[in-house]
Amino acid sequence: MTNSWNQENLLHKYAGHELLTLTADRRGNLRSVWLDPNDNQQSHLDLELTDGCFPSLAASLPETAWDEREIHDLFGWVPIGHPDLRPLIRTPRWPEDFFPLRNAQLPSAWLEAEPDLPALQVEGDGVTIMKVGPTHAGIIESGHFIFSIMGENILHLDAHLFQNHRGIEALLEGKTVFEVAPLVTRICAADTVSNQTNWASAAEELAGFIPSEQILLHRIVLLEAERVLSHLNDLAQIPAGVGYQVAHQRALAIKEHWQRSLQALFGHRFLFDTVHPGSAATAPSDGISGAVEALRRLWVPWRHVATGHHGFANRMKGVGTTSIDKVIRMGAQGVTSRAAGKTFDARQSIPWYQEFFEGPAIRTTGDVYARFMLRLDEVEASLKIIEKAAKLLGKAEPKNQPFTPPEDIGGRVVAFTESPHGLNVHDISFLKGRVSRYHVRAATFRNWPLMAQTIAGNAVADFPLINKSFELCYSCTDR
Amino acid sequence: MSKPVNSLQIRHVGAGSCNGCEQELTALTSRDYDMQRYGLDIVASPRHADAMLVTGPVTDTMARPVERVWEAVPDPKIRIAFGDCALGCGVFQHSYASHGGLADPDLTIPGCPPEPGNALSLLRNWMAAHRSKGPAYIEDKSN
Repeated sequence: MTNSWNQENLLHKYAGHELLTLTADRRGNLRSVWLDPNDNQQSHLDLELTDGCFPSLAASLPETAWDEREIHDLFGWVPIGHPDLRPLIRTPRWPEDFFPLRNAQLPSAWLEAEPDLPALQVEGDGVTIMKVGPTHAGIIESGHFIFSIMGENILHLDAHLFQNHRGIEALLEGKTVFEVAPLVTRICAADTVSNQTNWASAAEELAGFIPSEQILLHRIVLLEAERVLSHLNDLAQIPAGVGYQVAHQRALAIKEHWQRSLQALFGHRFLFDTVHPGSAATAPSDGISGAVEALRRLWVPWRHVATGHHGFANRMKGVGTTSIDKVIRMGAQGVTSRAAGKTFDARQSIPWYQEFFEGPAIRTTGDVYARFMLRLDEVEASLKIIEKAAKLLGKAEPKNQPFTPPEDIGGRVVAFTESPHGLNVHDISFLKGRVSRYHVRAATFRNWPLMAQTIAGNAVADFPLINKSFELCYSCTDR
Repeated sequence: MSKPVNSLQIRHVGAGSCNGCEQELTALTSRDYDMQRYGLDIVASPRHADAMLVTGPVTDTMARPVERVWEAVPDPKIRIAFGDCALGCGVFQHSYASHGGLADPDLTIPGCPPEPGNALSLLRNWMAAHRSKGPAYIEDKSN
């Protein structure tokens, strides 16, 4: 049993499949879900716990190390043989018998303890420990970083995240089909459409509802508009990481322009609450094309400015370098993985994207420069997709009947999209019309451990630059 | 002790937001809103600040860091709740890990996330209201 769990999961990995989710439920079942990018088929492996324990995959499949720690923290199930079972999400303030996804009973009080957890630090002559956070000297989400440094060089980074853990998965349990969307929308502002679309697709599949072409076209427009917005934000932040204020400020201005277009077209600057089961926010075809046109007039000159500064380019080259081997080993996703040469983009595995997606943009050097340039390429590809979808909107069949799910809707669906950060997966179970388990696995959850590995060997002063080039969202990792 | 409100230097603390509030706060520093021209700015240390601005529903893990930042801001000072989560009317209000927003805010900026133009007006209105007592003062609540 133990052996086959390990072997079968490894077989998927060696076959080049993508791990969609690895999670548990409160009855003590474990399930891993894999996607075969060749035929776009999902397959799952199940394991029943024995005495609350399961054999750990982390030693042979390092990308599962955090998933298993999360299961340990939130359910109390124990991965036997895990190489590092320190708490990930749990804090010393949680009573020992409190497992938020196992017992619905809330603790009567938090323990009087510091929320800090033990850190992995390098010891030895000349090694200094530099602690940063959880609050930062700028406008950023909270996270605690423990650097082991020698002089200017980073030897090791231990990232203590989950300071923003809101307990969203527990909060979603027991909700009806009509109560889920407002929460899912607000998991992360940068990936909101991706999260909304995952939820909508899953709910539609469970209810046997087939969305019309018009709905799907609008979802493509919204997903790509979000990618443009999020990439613009990242492209503004990377120059800021080296003090290149002109490129930073101009990119922020382009982003502001795009947000105003989104507000005018779809009613929200971040596209919150635009996708629901059975619907998507609509805008006139020529309005969408016009907005893309207007954005390009700002984008093209900016791209010349940002890429024509050889000092800026040199500053990004050879810094924060990762390799395709590490990317695959850690299961990294999105821009991070494609900038090191991995060819997976979840859009290629979504049937309704086939007509629009022309294949992933790839760079191979795996450094800050590659991640910066890849985002430029992806923005331009997204603008083309938006234009193409907008053209078809005029001719698309009209909207469906309203979405009316059966009252006792039930079943389990794993839905995914390519968010601006990469493969974004929701594993959703319904029982008699209510959510019985809702698991969210964002791309950044997989990318954080890789970033922490990548930072070793770089200079402390390059941390902001490297961190911004990975652009790791805290909220969708912490949830 | 009290001091005239001609400028308001702000220390931001993220306490479980979805990063929408952070992005809109960043927008306030960009050229379209340019909050610095009104004497408003985001500063790197609580020691430089007149105000603590909190985003998010205040997660349990961040509850203490928030209060520590507050203690580190010199008197007189104000607390700003930015966005519906921090105001205590967000969607994550009743989760086990949420403290339901920032306690005792002096200024609230609603929205999910707040629209930057509106946020800027509210900040400026607050400054104007406290300047109009001529010269106006932040009340020192520490005494």
